[in-house]
Amino acid sequence: MDQGRNPQAGTMLEEEQPARTLPFARTSPKAFLHAVFREERFFLVLSVFIGIFSGLAVVCFRFAIDWCRIYLLGSGVALTPLRLVLAPALAGLVIAVLVIHVFPLARGSGVNQTKAALYIYDGYIPLRTAIGKFITAALAIGSGHSLGPEDPSLQIGASLASALGRRMRLSRERMRLIAPVGAAAGLAAAFNAPISAVLFVIEEVIGRWTAGILGSVVLSAVSSVVVMRWFLGSESLFRIPAVQLERPSELIAYGVLGIVGGFASVAFASGIAALRPRCKAMPRWTQYVQPPLAGLLIGFIAILGAPQVMGAGYEYIDEAMHGQFTWQLLAILAGLKIIATLLSFVSGTPGGMFAPTLFIGAMLGAAVGGAEHVFLPHLSGSSGTYALVGMGVLFAGFLRAPMTSVFMVLEVSGNYSIILPVIVANTFAYVISRGLRPAAIFDVLTRQDGLDLPSMEEQREEDILRVEDAMRPAPISVLDGQETVDRAAQQTDGSQEDILLVRLNPSGWGSIKKHDLHKMLNEGKGRFSLSSLISIQRIPYLHPDHPLETALRYVDRWPLVPVVSRADFGKLEGIVSQRDVLERYRDFGEG
Amino acid sequence: MLSPLRNRFAAVGRRLGLRPYLTREPMMLGLLFVVAVVCFLAVSGLSRIYHAQQKSLGNRWSARGVTDLQQQRFEPAVNEFRTALLYSRDDYDYQFNLAEALIGLRRTDQAYAYLVNLWDRQPENGLVNLELARIAAQKGRTDQALRYYHNAIYATWPDGEEMGRRDARLELIEYLLRINAKTQAQSELIALAANLGDEFEQHLKVGNLFIQAHAYEDALAQYRLSLKLDRNNPAALAGAGLAAFKLGRYPLALRYLQGAVIADLHDTQSAELLKTTELVLRMDPFQRMISVAKRDRIVIDAFATAGERLKSCSAANVGTSPTTSQPGLSESWAKMKPHITEFGLRRDPDLVERAMELVFRIERETSVTCGVPPEKDAVLLLIAKLHEGS
Repeated sequence: MDQGRNPQAGTMLEEEQPARTLPFARTSPKAFLHAVFREERFFLVLSVFIGIFSGLAVVCFRFAIDWCRIYLLGSGVALTPLRLVLAPALAGLVIAVLVIHVFPLARGSGVNQTKAALYIYDGYIPLRTAIGKFITAALAIGSGHSLGPEDPSLQIGASLASALGRRMRLSRERMRLIAPVGAAAGLAAAFNAPISAVLFVIEEVIGRWTAGILGSVVLSAVSSVVVMRWFLGSESLFRIPAVQLERPSELIAYGVLGIVGGFASVAFASGIAALRPRCKAMPRWTQYVQPPLAGLLIGFIAILGAPQVMGAGYEYIDEAMHGQFTWQLLAILAGLKIIATLLSFVSGTPGGMFAPTLFIGAMLGAAVGGAEHVFLPHLSGSSGTYALVGMGVLFAGFLRAPMTSVFMVLEVSGNYSIILPVIVANTFAYVISRGLRPAAIFDVLTRQDGLDLPSMEEQREEDILRVEDAMRPAPISVLDGQETVDRAAQQTDGSQEDILLVRLNPSGWGSIKKHDLHKMLNEGKGRFSLSSLISIQRIPYLHPDHPLETALRYVDRWPLVPVVSRADFGKLEGIVSQRDVLERYRDFGEG
Repeated sequence: MLSPLRNRFAAVGRRLGLRPYLTREPMMLGLLFVVAVVCFLAVSGLSRIYHAQQKSLGNRWSARGVTDLQQQRFEPAVNEFRTALLYSRDDYDYQFNLAEALIGLRRTDQAYAYLVNLWDRQPENGLVNLELARIAAQKGRTDQALRYYHNAIYATWPDGEEMGRRDARLELIEYLLRINAKTQAQSELIALAANLGDEFEQHLKVGNLFIQAHAYEDALAQYRLSLKLDRNNPAALAGAGLAAFKLGRYPLALRYLQGAVIADLHDTQSAELLKTTELVLRMDPFQRMISVAKRDRIVIDAFATAGERLKSCSAANVGTSPTTSQPGLSESWAKMKPHITEFGLRRDPDLVERAMELVFRIERETSVTCGVPPEKDAVLLLIAKLHEGS
């Protein structure tokens, strides 16, 4: 081992091994091609293609939604009452038949299906799911069901990526990761926001930052956004009005918005958590009725004067941002959108909750801002600023993606000065939502579907055991490698330990059994130094802050592993053995 | 089609011992590239159809909106422009027309939001600045209104820069006059007058505005210019008559007002003004080219009129405390009265000056204490003003 020359690599972790020689430095064409087409590099190239195909699919999905809307609801904004009721109801019936008989996997959350592909099905998502999601979600959103195109886009991307990965016969490890890569591409194209998409997939699907996947996720997201912008232009989802924060004291106003948004998130999530299992538990024949009935009710809401709740509603978010509604109407729209989305989603109509979440957030934000302006006219924030912050608030409170929520608002607005209000408001919303509803909505949906996928929120907040939690104090007798066998035997005469640690020069550690030491003495090797004798085993060492699972890699091969200071590799902090590690895990599990 | 190529690759690969690398990944990448290009072309075709439809729908709804806007049917116009914006969200004209329709419905807050957005995109657009100025003026935000009006004056105008700027300045002047900022209005009017062409209507309008800004000399100049273009126009004649009257140039006023009354028999205002002008010219003893005897008769009449006014005013003020100078005036009048005869005036030519001075003092004082004077006294007041300082 190179341990002596490279003390930083003391633990001998695979990731810390020296970089390999560059491919062009090798002479053999076989080696060169092998290096070029090594799977991780091939995976990166493949990610770009995944992004391109996902981008193209999402562009077509957008076209499909718009065409459905034009042909089902009409091309105007002032719609006839008959169409308002019939279009979502009849489309709901068609969707119900398609979902029950042709595309059963089109129902449900795309985020959870991507997670299931990652953790359960080795990256497998049938292509049929993408086709089903495309058709049914386009019909649903286009006909006015209160759902959004982002989650289906995410799933279409993941499904396409999975199909490509299977075709390329990727290894199981890569196949598992390919669905999130496609998911990021789909979401990025739907949102026209690559950073938010990457963050969301890392935060909610993969759950951890790993260098191995980050590059692929970023490449696919960026390439899909490039494709989307090629066809649909580079305008962001909303026209963002001027954002300003004149006095820091105004942050209190945004804090109020965070509190209101937190409670609204809890109400929305509780509604879904309570109603969805009831709807699922109803007799099978009702599944034909549920989507059309939901459509009918949404149509009635529209007839009663709130057609804004139909569909994704991005155009109305834009209008709310530009002060087109009174604060009272905004508050009503937020409430009605919650009801309409509940109806659509719990009825099993395919579609996402991102757009409705943004809609509710924007309306609620602008309503709170408007109401605050009535009582405190000197507040500088426009209704657009509050709407923008409100979107982040619901994203943090309902979807429980706090990082993504901040970056999404930042990316969509392109204005750094909004970051403080967003962080303040999102923190309030997240804390309230987390306090009142411990399980995030995606985890609730997963459990309702009978799956047990890892909760990203719980993972983020989970305690990590470290080596220092399991290590024992250092033994009194530590031998020096320069000592002769004679003197070492004398030093360890009174020791009860069978295995002795030897500090080697210039660095590193070894161990020797007491029995072997006495054997060497009997063989007349008493004047030899310990380090010169072959039988001394060099052993790896750990640092106190290493995760305890790292220790598991060594404790079965070495009965004692030294734990040394990071500042001085010769300074022994403690020792750890297999028994210590297992006992610590047992205590942790019981605790 | 790909299999012979693939076989050839495979053969080469086998010979070199590279089978797994040459037969799969490069082929797959090549294939992916081809599929991507084909898909891209297919989506391009779809995209063309999609965008053409969106554009067509946007134009159709916008055209309906424009028709409704022209016919002042604002409610449907708003819906139609909103629909048009669904298909072309950032279209400048659709947004502007929507803002106009919203203004028509008096939803100025909503219109303001669109206009501010348009202003951010094109701060130099004259129409947008003008609409923003109007909204600010309506809301009483004077500074903001003035800023937008000035922006509009120096902005670019799609349908003729000169006309747009002139109209914007005219509107600014009207706004300044409404808020009683006459000095600023006069400055703007002078700038406007300097750039007027040979349009009768423009000169007439500017003349009227000069009158409102109390800049009578400039007003008269504008009316004269408009009369050059239409010498018998009753409005221009009336305006010129009024301006000349306000300037105390009564002979000129007489000429214009006579013309105005002849040109428009229903112009009662000019007729009234003409009557007053005639009286001024008849009752002014200091006008040139009149005989001494006539002058003396005018002075005697004026003295008597002032005496009557003084008496009636004192009678009306019985029981209330008289002004400090009124008893003195009555005394002076009574003291001078015996001398105000044709003989007395001819014997002492300076008496004309002194008598008229007393008359003017009486008229001024009584107009303060007793309010609006009767016709003859009002004329005497005008004559007093005319000869102030002379």
